[in-house]
Amino acid sequence: MNARALCFITLLAVCHGTRAEAGILERVRGWIGLGDKAEVAEPKKTMPRIRIGPFTGGTGASAQDALRKELLDSREFFVAGTEEKADFTVEGSSIGGRVTGKLRDSKGKDLFQRSYAAPGLDENLKAFTDDVIYTVTGRPGLATSRIVFVSDRTGRRQIYVCDAEGGDVHQVTHDKHGAVSPSLAPDSSMVAFTSYRSGFPVIRLLDLNVGWERGVTDTPGSSFGSAFSPDGTHLAAMMSFIGNPEIFVSDLGSNTAACISDSVGAPASPSWHPDGKQIVFSDDSGDGPKLYIVEVPQKEGQASRLFRWRTGYHFCTDPEWSPDGGNIAFTTRKGGEWAVAIKPWPNGGTRIIQAGGAQHPSWSPNGRLITYVQHGELYVHDLNSGNRRSLLRGFGRVSEPRWMR
Amino acid sequence: MRMTNLRSVFAAIPNASFAFVLVLLLPSCGSIPMPAFFKNPADEAIVYALGSREGYTSPLSEPLKPACPALRFDDDEFRVAESHERPIRDLAKQIETNKKARLLIAGYAPPNLPQDHARSISDRRALAVRQRFIELGIEPANLQTVGYGNDFSPSSPSSSVVVIYRQN
Repeated sequence: MNARALCFITLLAVCHGTRAEAGILERVRGWIGLGDKAEVAEPKKTMPRIRIGPFTGGTGASAQDALRKELLDSREFFVAGTEEKADFTVEGSSIGGRVTGKLRDSKGKDLFQRSYAAPGLDENLKAFTDDVIYTVTGRPGLATSRIVFVSDRTGRRQIYVCDAEGGDVHQVTHDKHGAVSPSLAPDSSMVAFTSYRSGFPVIRLLDLNVGWERGVTDTPGSSFGSAFSPDGTHLAAMMSFIGNPEIFVSDLGSNTAACISDSVGAPASPSWHPDGKQIVFSDDSGDGPKLYIVEVPQKEGQASRLFRWRTGYHFCTDPEWSPDGGNIAFTTRKGGEWAVAIKPWPNGGTRIIQAGGAQHPSWSPNGRLITYVQHGELYVHDLNSGNRRSLLRGFGRVSEPRWMR
Repeated sequence: MRMTNLRSVFAAIPNASFAFVLVLLLPSCGSIPMPAFFKNPADEAIVYALGSREGYTSPLSEPLKPACPALRFDDDEFRVAESHERPIRDLAKQIETNKKARLLIAGYAPPNLPQDHARSISDRRALAVRQRFIELGIEPANLQTVGYGNDFSPSSPSSSVVVIYRQN
């Protein structure tokens, strides 16, 4: 009889589960299968078949070859031969490096036609490839995405940008005393970072297209961990000018900032939910950093919820929300070494992706890959296959990678 | 018949109703305020905003001599310990008569910590030391802090320390 009563109580508790404290109750729900488990990424059953049609013009043949490579590298399509049946066909023209591309479906209907007039053929084909991928799969392609990271190869920590294949590496800061803690804007046009040019940490913005630079914070204390909001209009960062380190959200238009955390410890590493309404960050109250979720007030004076998000691990830092908002990747400690872990949001079991010193994970724009550093080397990890590869070799000690479109 | 069964279940377990209420209350624990006697008195301390940084010299720009021995902290600890009291009191005594004396309190962290966490915890330690100086009567506007984390390891201190630099 007692057992039946306890079962009844447990069932009520399970049904009464709440999102606010993803702790014991959520774990119980997960064990018995009631948790809202989100899949990390479902492998596609069949890849769409795409045929590369004729490309006319002086650089048409080069464009055709380069486009084939880009489409194969994307791993989104099966590239069909000229006589084979295909779901989609790409064709167009290329003159002097400029590209006009067209995507058609199997019935011959035009899905889009666009011209690309950037200075380089490769750059134009990468943009065309990403448009094809987005039209067919609904997910952003990686060809034009960028990874920003810190390297000490010049003797000081400076910020660099590379493409998703580890190529096209550019040093973007040359600050006296170095620059760290970078973050790319959602459209890859700007980098926010912490500069030590004055000897003290200050957050600055650098426009990668035009080249101008401006300060965001000129406040005493420390400022770092900047993260762009999904619409690129706000910047979340840790600042301590009030005499206490807190997470602030700055409006880049008006240059005003609002405190969103309530810390008595050491908060760090804010990351936005893709809907822009919540932020995850780590906070150490004296027993190792843990992850917290805070709602971003949409109006001035609006109250917001702040709660701890349990992962089952005692040391959790560098959280980053996946592009679909279904998972959070973070750095934790396993067996005395750093490890990269993923936990579905809001509920689900924590999965170690890579142990043995891996840290600072960042999602690819399509959510299928994760980049992280391990012993100073930059890696890209495929979440479906579990395969990984080193992106940069012999590039000094790499740290703090962030991947953005 | 079913109601009778249910009643007999609760009757059989005197604490079942209590357990039921407790289980339903568990999820809202996060919103129940902590009783005052559990709180750390340091959490209630008045925090003073940092003053202007103008005129302060960074230890990155030129070599600065520490005003007292470096204050060492345990791994996850950021509160001022007993062992820090003496150097802090000695330094506070030296500068309490000089209203123009300014201090830069800089936190550092070991290279094995994740960078962002290292910056934050080193900054928190520096602010905790600043708070202790304020409690000893030093003017808050004359105390500046910074957390360098492990960004300048190994050329700067590469352990969990707070170094206090006297500014002219």
